[in-house]
Amino acid sequence: MLYLKRFFGSCCRVRTERLGCMVEAKNLSMKYGRGGQYALDDVSFFIDRGEFVFFVGSSGAGKSTLLKLIIRELRPTDGVLKVFGRNVGRLPRHRLPYLRRNIGMVFQDFRLMDERSAAENVAFAMMVTGASRREIRRRVPHVLGLVGLQDKAKSRICDLSGGEQQRVGVARAIANRPAMIVADEPTGNLDPGTSLDIMNLLRSINLRGTTVLVATHNREIVDLFKKRVIYLENGKVVRDEQKGIYTGV
Amino acid sequence: MSVTSKRGFTPVFSSGIFYIIGETLKGLYRNRWMCLTSTGVVVVTLLMLGLFMLINMNVGHITETVKEQVEIVVYIDEYASQATVDDLKQRLQAHSGLREVRYVSSTEHMDRLQKQLGGMLEGYDSMEDNPLLASFELRTNVPEDVPSIALELETYPGVATVFYGQGYVEDLFAVTGVIQIVGLSLMVGLAITAVFLISHTIKLTVMMRKREITIMKYVGATNWFIRWPFLLEGLLMGFTGAALPLVALYFIYEYAIEWAAVNNLLFLTLLPLQVVIYEVAKYLVPLGTGLGILGSSFSMGRFLKV
Ligand SMILES: Nc1ncnc2c1ncn2[C@@H]1O[C@H](COP(=O)(O)OP(=O)(O)O)[C@@H](O)[C@H]1O
Ligand SMILES: [Mg+2]
Repeated sequence: MLYLKRFFGSCCRVRTERLGCMVEAKNLSMKYGRGGQYALDDVSFFIDRGEFVFFVGSSGAGKSTLLKLIIRELRPTDGVLKVFGRNVGRLPRHRLPYLRRNIGMVFQDFRLMDERSAAENVAFAMMVTGASRREIRRRVPHVLGLVGLQDKAKSRICDLSGGEQQRVGVARAIANRPAMIVADEPTGNLDPGTSLDIMNLLRSINLRGTTVLVATHNREIVDLFKKRVIYLENGKVVRDEQKGIYTGV
Repeated sequence: MSVTSKRGFTPVFSSGIFYIIGETLKGLYRNRWMCLTSTGVVVVTLLMLGLFMLINMNVGHITETVKEQVEIVVYIDEYASQATVDDLKQRLQAHSGLREVRYVSSTEHMDRLQKQLGGMLEGYDSMEDNPLLASFELRTNVPEDVPSIALELETYPGVATVFYGQGYVEDLFAVTGVIQIVGLSLMVGLAITAVFLISHTIKLTVMMRKREITIMKYVGATNWFIRWPFLLEGLLMGFTGAALPLVALYFIYEYAIEWAAVNNLLFLTLLPLQVVIYEVAKYLVPLGTGLGILGSSFSMGRFLKV
């Protein structure tokens, strides 16, 4: 529970029953700008520690908006969103970096530094959080090993394939031992075989106890994995099923 | 397995502080021309400011010296009789605006001149040959009265001419005053340009590193961690912009002192070099670094959101 202690600060005692709740949305609404439609409309759900959750739905359903709210890239218009038991809508700006250190992020477009090596990209994420030289030197090869890239540590990102780049993305996401991984269309730019590899990688990370949230279009994988599925449509949760599949009924 | 890059450096991101310094230097190098331009404008601004300070301090110093010394010199008509001179002396001593009256004979004037010129006027030691006038040296109660009293004294019998150094100082002040107003507005303009250029230069670095900054924000870097390289970049430009003029001013002033000594400009009793440079540095260094920090803080604000 080291990460939570770090997040809440030593002065604040963590109540054990809250530890299970990673994300809690209550009547959560989000609207971009003043007029127009709600991108998220009165959404409520719980996500427990250790869960693997797919957010599915057609394009524009509000998946990305929801994930951006969780990492506090956006603030909700209405309702309450708690991450690690803490209301992120009210999180003061200076606490934001400490929230983000507990959430590993994986992006559709990877968001890596193309001119740097795989190892440097992973080390960078650790360095900015103030990790020590020794810690970085020990941890980077380890996480690159976990994603199966031990031999590509010194390769520059631009010399790697898409699948390999996303592996580096995943390695970077887990480098700081986050409590939760948030991935927005992590396989959106990858071919089916590679997509399955990446998803399997996320599943294996989930098996080690990390909560994983994935927004995806990938019907085959969702149906194959039989994990929890939260189906969004026009900003509303229309289905929320354990061991769900992409298409309903 | 060690995490070294292809080219064999040790880990680039091994520690935050090295990263920050490295990024600062990299930013400066990549935008070197803009950096040089910005720093150049700071240099010009502060060099001007420094020069003004030097002039100002010395004009002030000279005024003080002049005030300390004689304020009015009344030269006695060479054909005036002894009685007229005695009369004049009494009138001066009785004058309510004066507090000190001292008679300086022509011999004494010659001695002073001999001393100043280092005994170059060997021939003129007899009274008969002495072309200099005797005088009264006066000090007023209120320095501001000098011009009016001097005017009044010119009408006294036995007076050849009245000389007061204060007038020159006033002229000097008037001239330096105009120079200062023009110079100050120029300097304010230059300072604004400097801040603009610095912020523009740093904006270029920020743009180049935009992707990196976004990633840093996502992986949980604090704003301060992201800011440091840019702040240091501005600070370095500003500090260099202050240090160079200081070095230049040191040599300029050293030369001025030498020049004044060689040309025997006795009224130019310049302040000592160390004192002046220290005084100027006290303003230039904080101002330079201030301009740098101001410039960099203008360039960052909106990039730190998200
Ligand atoms: N930055 C934005 N400004 C305005 N509207 C936005 C913005 N981002 C998303 N939206 C709108 O919010 C809705 C949900 O978008 P998004 O969360 O990106 O959907 P998804 O990721 O499921 O495709 C869409 O109607 C989209 O047009
Ligand atoms: Mg999306």
